Amino acid sequence: MAHKSEDVFDCILMADDRFHVEGYREGFDEGTRQVMIDGQELRASHGAKLSMEVSFYYGFGITWKCLLQNNTDCETLESLLGLIQRFPHEEPQYENLQEDMEKVRAKFRLVCSLLNVPTDLSNYVKSGGSWGISF
Amino acid sequence: MSWVKSVQYSGEDVFDEDADDINLQDKEWKYNMKKRVRDGYVDGIDHGKEASLQLGFNMGYREGAASTMAIGQLKGIISAIQCWCQLQRPDTPTPASVTDLLQRVVKHEDSLMEAMRTALENPIPSVSDVSENMEDLGVGEVESGCCGDGGCSKGSDCCRKDSDMDLGPILPQKPRLSFTLPTDPFTIIGESLEQLLQCCMDIVSELGLSQELIRHLQQLKSATE
Repeated sequence: MAHKSEDVFDCILMADDRFHVEGYREGFDEGTRQVMIDGQELRASHGAKLSMEVSFYYGFGITWKCLLQNNTDCETLESLLGLIQRFPHEEPQYENLQEDMEKVRAKFRLVCSLLNVPTDLSNYVKSGGSWGISF
Repeated sequence: MSWVKSVQYSGEDVFDEDADDINLQDKEWKYNMKKRVRDGYVDGIDHGKEASLQLGFNMGYREGAASTMAIGQLKGIISAIQCWCQLQRPDTPTPASVTDLLQRVVKHEDSLMEAMRTALENPIPSVSDVSENMEDLGVGEVESGCCGDGGCSKGSDCCRKDSDMDLGPILPQKPRLSFTLPTDPFTIIGESLEQLLQCCMDIVSELGLSQELIRHLQQLKSATE
């Protein structure tokens, strides 16, 4: 008798588990979908914008380095390029991402003022990289 | 109490308490089981999100970053050339070819961002596709050299060092995209990045500027082909 009643309870528990597991599987897929898909645009565009900004500074700096050659002492310029080269901006898990980004921006502003760059590139920096051309 | 005897009990009698009990138990069972399914679903969502959070973030972010590296550098290069022209020749207007190219680069950049946004709004890969991409991405692996996309596993003192006229350490790697852009990521509607880079090289030659710069542009162009 005791054995039979244990079977009955087992059946109940198993049914309970089964329903829970069914719901769990569906929920797991949905949760995965939400993270992988719904947030992807935001993450991709975030990575894209940051990369665009850093790459802009790099391209700008490299060009000035080429143009100045050895004519001018360009220690700050070298410092900017070095900073960018060491900055893994494409790595989302890099713990100092924001901090290093601010350092790069500050260095870029300094380079611009030293070069007497006759443009309002500070707008570019202030807006965090989004910029309409306004030379 | 003769009235008691006159009352007949049967299974169909509305006063059949057993039948009521069974219905009630059945309903209660169904209610509880539905609740179990819902509870499971909620637990599943939380765990699904947690399990895929880091992977999802890495995938989207790295791909986005890789796709704009070249165009970002080109914009920086042409902007610097424009500044140079203004400083060196303040009395003459900036060559139209330079301002024109800069506008075209900005347009290309906007198209790229728009294409990315559109692609990501489209139908989505299944979880199994994502698993394949996971292996595909090989978190921790890099494509070429030790400083491909994803950072350098050897630490910051690796080949990403500054050196005399070391112009080429930051080159874009073609991203392994988990989303599909309408066209090749480096060939957006309108001009291709290669065309823009070539145009920039032509301008640098015409203006008689640095050969090193042309070499750097050539490297960028090769990396995007």
